[in-house]
Amino acid sequence: MSIFKSWRNPFKWNFFRSDDRLLLILIAVIVGSCSGLAAVALNRSILILFDWLHPFRHYWWAFILPAIGAALSSIFLEKIVNEGAGHGVPEVVYSVSSYGGLLRFRSSFSRIISSCLTIGSGGSAGPEAPVVMSGAAIGANIASFFSLNDRQRIIIVGCGAAGAISSIFNAPISGLVFSIEVILGEWKASNIVPIAIASVAGTEISRFLQGNSIAFAHHNFDITFFDIGASFGLAIFTAVVTIFLTRSLKTVRGISEKIQIPLWVRAAAGGCAVGIIGMFLPVVLGEGYHFIGSMINENFTQGLLVVAIALFAKIFATSLTLGSGGSGGIFAPCLVIGSLAGLTYYRALAIIYPSLSWVNEGCYALLGMAGLISGMLQAPLTGIFLIVEITGGYNVILPLLIVSSVSTTLCHYIEPASFYLKALVAKGQLLRPGTDARVLSDLSVPELLERDCLTVNQNMRLGEFIHIIKKSRRNIFPVEDEKTGRFLGLIHLDSIRSYIFNSDMYNAVFLWQIMDTDVDKVYPDDDLSEILNIMDRKHLFSIPVVANNKFIGIISKATLLDQYRKELMVQTLD
Amino acid sequence: MTMELTIHEVANRLNLPWNTIERWVRQGRIPMQKSGNIYIMREAVMKKWAEAHNLSFFLSKKEIDQEKNLQPENLLPAMQRGSVLYGINGQTVEKVLKDAIDKIPDLLIKNKKELLATLIERESLASTGIGNGVAIPHPRTPLSEMHKNSAIITCFFEKPVDFGSIDNKPVFIMFILLSISVKTHLHLLSRLSFCVRNKLFIEFLKTSPAHDLFYAKIADYEKEIDQIGDF
Repeated sequence: MSIFKSWRNPFKWNFFRSDDRLLLILIAVIVGSCSGLAAVALNRSILILFDWLHPFRHYWWAFILPAIGAALSSIFLEKIVNEGAGHGVPEVVYSVSSYGGLLRFRSSFSRIISSCLTIGSGGSAGPEAPVVMSGAAIGANIASFFSLNDRQRIIIVGCGAAGAISSIFNAPISGLVFSIEVILGEWKASNIVPIAIASVAGTEISRFLQGNSIAFAHHNFDITFFDIGASFGLAIFTAVVTIFLTRSLKTVRGISEKIQIPLWVRAAAGGCAVGIIGMFLPVVLGEGYHFIGSMINENFTQGLLVVAIALFAKIFATSLTLGSGGSGGIFAPCLVIGSLAGLTYYRALAIIYPSLSWVNEGCYALLGMAGLISGMLQAPLTGIFLIVEITGGYNVILPLLIVSSVSTTLCHYIEPASFYLKALVAKGQLLRPGTDARVLSDLSVPELLERDCLTVNQNMRLGEFIHIIKKSRRNIFPVEDEKTGRFLGLIHLDSIRSYIFNSDMYNAVFLWQIMDTDVDKVYPDDDLSEILNIMDRKHLFSIPVVANNKFIGIISKATLLDQYRKELMVQTLD
Repeated sequence: MTMELTIHEVANRLNLPWNTIERWVRQGRIPMQKSGNIYIMREAVMKKWAEAHNLSFFLSKKEIDQEKNLQPENLLPAMQRGSVLYGINGQTVEKVLKDAIDKIPDLLIKNKKELLATLIERESLASTGIGNGVAIPHPRTPLSEMHKNSAIITCFFEKPVDFGSIDNKPVFIMFILLSISVKTHLHLLSRLSFCVRNKLFIEFLKTSPAHDLFYAKIADYEKEIDQIGDF
């Protein structure tokens, strides 16, 4: 029987099991290819749906197309697969930091379908985040199939995300950098190797199926000294636009959550509004990659005013689509908004300083994208590598670095958490490896419980209690009810020290008279950070743990320090 | 021989709760291999891993157990080892101490000069006469030749001697307490003082009982102490 088992599953063969790194690389290839396939599938289906609906765009009722798409996607997510709206990246990061990367199998296709409906019908959102979620879920499930441990599964989840991004942009380095900078948050060789392999696999799949084309190819730019100077101004401008976009997304979401209507109606209303904007400015519809191409190649000929209006229209359309419950990511809209911002900046610059010879507007569109991506994700490396790779231009690297880093810094100053991680940070769920929060969240109350406390009951006399004190190694004594065993209170040696030497009181005082009934207690499921907060606030060195009204042990700071240090050493020294 | 450790054994050796080790295995922080239904780890691998992570690691559980099980012994064996001496002579503290030490069997104590000097030194700090006619002389630090076992030498005096006790009563009996460690010293002292607090025991001692009677009485008192469970 066991022979058949091992034969059926070649990856359980000892050859691959002999070295974990080898196994991880092998799985990385599989996961990278699968998530690459998922990315290609989503990209293609969006294009097909978009083209299929194109003839209908000229009718007067075309504005309801995005509404139908958003409503269908909302119904699909809510009723059929029972998952929340949103783009999915926070869910992946949360799972990586708290559940060892476990993700549900249905997550590997649910976002693809829902975002295809939303974007294909004209909603302003991006396919990248949904595909990251899918890739990560594919990775998580494949990792579980091979019964990998948490740390290995996290790496494979990162592989899935990297494969997806690499495939959708045909940009392997961006996939690698995005996965490590945003999803894992830990630069280590053991992370980088499998993820790099997965990026290569994802890119190869994409090149095999769609050809090796650089998304926004362009001719060479001649960057002058003035452009370097101007890029500081662009960085500030993109930072402002980023903040505006963030706030606008937040506001629309806040308003839509207050309205008490079914989710799909809400999504439909948002889609309708986007459709109406799209009737006048088609640039806002869909993922908008077509327009980025035309902007970089200087085919976007409208004047400054139109570009500026388009910039704000795209921001509103994106906020409406995502805020009302449409499914999709922020990546593609960021790129469109970024290129519009770059173009606006260039047009304004050309009017203010007509005499100077600026490099062309395509370059500014490109820099604008980098500024928006870096500011929004607060991941400067992802922004830089992505733009370099999708435009195939290394010659813009100097202004690119400036725009990315300045924009990230400014945005970080105003919005301390990136768009993806904001919700997690607000809930205290962002637990990057090697941080205090991570160590505390990994340690649990049962691991720290000290059970060597001697319990006493409330009807004991002080004289009998003295004998218990002699035997105990601790200075706190939990008091239990004689009959039920219920936890009643605590006696701290410090508080009775003044009269335990007075033998006259030995028979006169019962423990219920001296016990402290108003004690802080914690439960086995409590968060350690919460427990430490209580201990810090009340200046406690130990705190009783109670389960089902019964005392089960104490948590002391001394033991906690010991365990915390060991945990930290094991977590950081890999 | 390669020794394989289970999660519980690893936890014991690292002095950590087993559920922490279990979590580390699940998270992939400790390289344990699955063998059938349990996780195991070779001792050498374990040692290397612990060293790489700066974790203190105990090679085997026995060493700790030995230290823990070393309970200080009780009065009776120490007294039987130390023997009972009768008719100790002398008018002053120094003289009775010298006479008593001279009468101690050579098997027990070889360097009698050292013992006398340390006892007198201790006596000069404060009297060891604890009242009720009893004195418990002892060296300040464990004797260099006392390694394995403690001893109590019981000395009945010919005539009561002024020891400068706290209650100014002359001393008629002394217990020379020679212990191997401070912990044993406290343990024996606390048991001994429990006995001599008892008036009946003092009366019994004043009759200079034969040593088998004396040991029997001590055994009775120790039983009582164990019942109370105080010391």
